[in-house]
Amino acid sequence: MLQNRHLVFRQQSGSGKTTMLNIIGSLDIPSAGEVTVLNHSIGSLTQKEAANLRKKSLGFIFQSYNLFGVHNVFENIEFPLLLLDYTAAERKKMVMEALEWLGLTDKIRSKPPQLSGGECQRVAIARAMVKKPSLVLADEPTANLDAANSHNILRSMEALNREFKTTFLFATHDDKVISYLRRKIFLDDGRIVNDELTGN
Amino acid sequence: MKLAIKMAYRNLVGAGLRTWLNVIVLSFSFLVIIWMKGIITGWNHQAKVDMTNWEIGEGQYWQEGYDPHDPFTFTDSHAPVPEEFLGEIERGDMEPSLIAQGTIYPQGRLQSVMIRGIDPKQTIFMLPSYKLDTLVTGAIPSIIGSGMAKNLKVNVGDRVMVQWRDADGTFDASEIFITEIFTVSVPAVDQGQIYLSLDTLRSMLGLEGEATTLTYNNSEVTRPAVEGWVHKSKTELTSAVDELIKVKTAGTSILYIILITLAMLAIFDTQVLSIFRRQKEIGTYIALGYTRRQVVGLFTVEGTMYAVLAALLSAAYGLPFLAWQAKVGWTMPVDASEFGMAIAQTLYPVYSAGLVIGTVLIITTVTALVSYWPSRRIAKMNPTEALRGKIQ
Repeated sequence: MLQNRHLVFRQQSGSGKTTMLNIIGSLDIPSAGEVTVLNHSIGSLTQKEAANLRKKSLGFIFQSYNLFGVHNVFENIEFPLLLLDYTAAERKKMVMEALEWLGLTDKIRSKPPQLSGGECQRVAIARAMVKKPSLVLADEPTANLDAANSHNILRSMEALNREFKTTFLFATHDDKVISYLRRKIFLDDGRIVNDELTGN
Repeated sequence: MKLAIKMAYRNLVGAGLRTWLNVIVLSFSFLVIIWMKGIITGWNHQAKVDMTNWEIGEGQYWQEGYDPHDPFTFTDSHAPVPEEFLGEIERGDMEPSLIAQGTIYPQGRLQSVMIRGIDPKQTIFMLPSYKLDTLVTGAIPSIIGSGMAKNLKVNVGDRVMVQWRDADGTFDASEIFITEIFTVSVPAVDQGQIYLSLDTLRSMLGLEGEATTLTYNNSEVTRPAVEGWVHKSKTELTSAVDELIKVKTAGTSILYIILITLAMLAIFDTQVLSIFRRQKEIGTYIALGYTRRQVVGLFTVEGTMYAVLAALLSAAYGLPFLAWQAKVGWTMPVDASEFGMAIAQTLYPVYSAGLVIGTVLIITTVTALVSYWPSRRIAKMNPTEALRGKIQ
């Protein structure tokens, strides 16, 4: 997979996009064939190795945000850093930076139930990006958002992709989302039927 | 572990009321268990101190035929005080007592009693024996316990007829005059006992220089074995209290088990519900880099932390309560003198560091096990299904 890309798997609902993302994210293993992510063969990773790969190199953005409801915004974004060896001061600095990228500094002590859908997804993006991973996997990230929020979220991700050279991999069937992305891989019944590269 | 504790704390505090309900129930268990164990320890302590002060001193010698549980032995269980002990008796470090059976006739009724002769100048027992030196005309000065006085319906200044048999088996009778009524929590010192001057009783029985028991106040002194007298250590003399405490402890343990079980049920239920309701969260932990084993650890620490928070809460509201109880004691709602054992009307709980630490450790360990039990299920979860929240 190319680095520093903004790419998408496009396929109809219920035909395996999420499964593919889960395999790439080392949350699942392929039943056949081989999947290599960041030089790791997913099928041969132990649970601990897979957890290490996710912890250090992967970020996840979910359709339903999957934020920790009892933690505030700061704590949600800080969580991936707690798993790595950062000091409290370093964590604070990195979380504050992530909050600034996504314009969430005024929501730092808010808890997810107090936020709008768009704000929740921005927190989820901040959580995925705070450790500056090599690859961010986004499963239908705008499915629960209105058009304006979707636009803002996609713009934010595009900016982060350009700034940090992080590869974003989307799974979606939404044409509006696809129009923001540079490489588009079209799947039909599990097979690649088209692979388009547009822009830089 | 540090991270698990941090996350568990955040999760519990964030869960709000659900957490605090469990913590309050568990803290109540902590408090009740410590208080009840403190009461029993206090009772044990009080019973032994009272027995020491009022009945057995630091140990006794019994005339070999004497059996306090068999009144038929009293008539013959007396012997001259051994010469080996005369020095200690002279110094007031050992007190001879003479015991005989008799009958009193309060208000025309008849009641068997044990007549005990003690030295009015003795200092080993807390009995107000100096009152036996009171000058009374035509009657023998006597002191009795408040329980006995209540049963006989007599007061200080009353006269009661007492009958006894002397060493030759001849019946004799005289009036006794109640010079003092004392309050004591040791039934063996009170119920069915009347106290006369040792010299008077010896004279009544014709047993000059004889005694039934010898009580000493220093167990460090090495004493020779004396023929005809059986040594009874304080441990032997208080063994009945130990047995009683053991039985009581076993009885109250059932209450502890019920209390802990109720608290554990609440925690178990919370854990099962948490694992069911927080599937997406579990999946998210794994997606963000936790191993399944770490998530099991997190949920176990979360459950165990209920016990830690409960211990802290117990300390917050329980310490003032326990300290207040240790100061004012717990007064039993019923008359303790009816119980037939060495129990004061007001019991003062005694708490030891071992009791508090032991209780906290036991409850925390049980809580950790109860928390771990349902959490093991997480280890078998498929993270992708957990993320979708589809596990039933």
